[in-house]
Amino acid sequence: MDHSKQTQYSSNEKKDAGASSSVLNGHFDGMVKRPAGGTGRAAASQPPGAESSSHRPAASVMESWREERTRSVEDNEMSLPSLAAAYTTILRGLGEDPQRQGLLKTPWRAATAMQFFTKGYQEKIIDVLNDAIFDEDHDEMVIVKDIDMFSMCEHHLVPIFGRVHIGYLPNKRVLGLSKLARIVEIYSRRLQVQERLTKQIAVAITEALQPTGVGVVIEATHMCMVMRGVQKMNSKTVTSTMLGVFREDPKTRDEFLTLIRS
Amino acid sequence: MNGHCNGKLNDGFSELIIDSKKSAAHRKHETSRKEAEDMSRLPALEAAYTSILSELGEDTDRQGLLRTPLRAAKAMQFLTKGYHETVEDILNNAIFDEDHDEMVIVKDIDMFSLCEHHLVPFFGKVHIGYIPNKKVVGLSKLARIVEIFSRRLQVQERLTKQIAVGILEALQPKGVAVVIEATHMCMVMRGVQKMNSRTVTSTMLGVYLEDPKTREEFLTLSQRV
Repeated sequence: MDHSKQTQYSSNEKKDAGASSSVLNGHFDGMVKRPAGGTGRAAASQPPGAESSSHRPAASVMESWREERTRSVEDNEMSLPSLAAAYTTILRGLGEDPQRQGLLKTPWRAATAMQFFTKGYQEKIIDVLNDAIFDEDHDEMVIVKDIDMFSMCEHHLVPIFGRVHIGYLPNKRVLGLSKLARIVEIYSRRLQVQERLTKQIAVAITEALQPTGVGVVIEATHMCMVMRGVQKMNSKTVTSTMLGVFREDPKTRDEFLTLIRS
Repeated sequence: MNGHCNGKLNDGFSELIIDSKKSAAHRKHETSRKEAEDMSRLPALEAAYTSILSELGEDTDRQGLLRTPLRAAKAMQFLTKGYHETVEDILNNAIFDEDHDEMVIVKDIDMFSLCEHHLVPFFGKVHIGYIPNKKVVGLSKLARIVEIFSRRLQVQERLTKQIAVGILEALQPKGVAVVIEATHMCMVMRGVQKMNSRTVTSTMLGVYLEDPKTREEFLTLSQRV
């Protein structure tokens, strides 16, 4: 938990692979940098993992992207009563009457809904990806765009929704297309910050495929800004992560950004 | 609680006025929450949110979540602030005598509410039309009436009716029409997960209910982009 060593992962970072450290829901130290034409898993000596649990140290960092699950289906069932009790408290605290007809089962519905909105904690990338990586002699850009994304703001517990555009340059290995959307689902169905979500998706694809480059752009509306607080209806937040050749080569990045806009 | 409307609105306009006078007594007790109480209720809400976070499998001590229970509790209080507002409070000064009896429409009022079944937002646009009976209301007050009733745990049907009846009781116009078109996150983010579906509800009172031509005029004018 070396928060003090956490550096801003901006697009102006230098090229050296940074030292990796412990991760908390994917807080990163240093950079992910794959040399073009990667040398396979051996080069992944210091990949920052995408762990979501603070209780695990970063000992097995190499395998960390495979071990993100903090919750199981059984855990869900066991937590339901206390979640429902918490929601009943909330209803009372807001001045409502939890016994009126419309609210009678609301604590359970709200608890189940919240568990659904955070079901990313139950899933592991490895479960989703393992059989859908194929060897193809393809090295042109692959883009999957307009992936609808729904997440929860970790600061206010209010929805975030928008679209994710993903592009990558394969290095002899391609991924089943729906798996890109599933990666988005795993990371977005959590308590998230949009910057971190963008990075986690990009890093997961990088670690799974070792492509020549990955680009992820997310454009989202934050209900915490729209429904409350500053209340700006039409504002959107755009974040992006460019890795590998997408970062180094402006032409590649341009091509990606143009294609997702059209 | 939350203004359940027991008036039988389909039986004619005059009966409606009688019914609404009966419920006027109820309306004084509609503020189930006082603003001053919000601060004192915060600790209980915070504790509930902390328990929710840990039951979901998150680590409540990590930096991003440290103050989340407080923020979430305050956000939830804001999103339900309609409970301590009444129509009388906001309208009292803004009713004017005007010799105007043509339709007045305020449309595309952004509305944000919380589904009372899942505690998940639903949001959309409200279109309001009324035909004054010598009394017009300040235009922003229509939007404020929407705010009062939408910032609660709601069901879209009830919200539509409450807005219509609220205007009716305040102004006694010849007719009131309210149309709400909303997206329900409980349908989009979970459950059946239909991204593009929208729910439309409407309430027509008075001359809007009786005269199809009036209703048609309102619907045409409010739907036109």
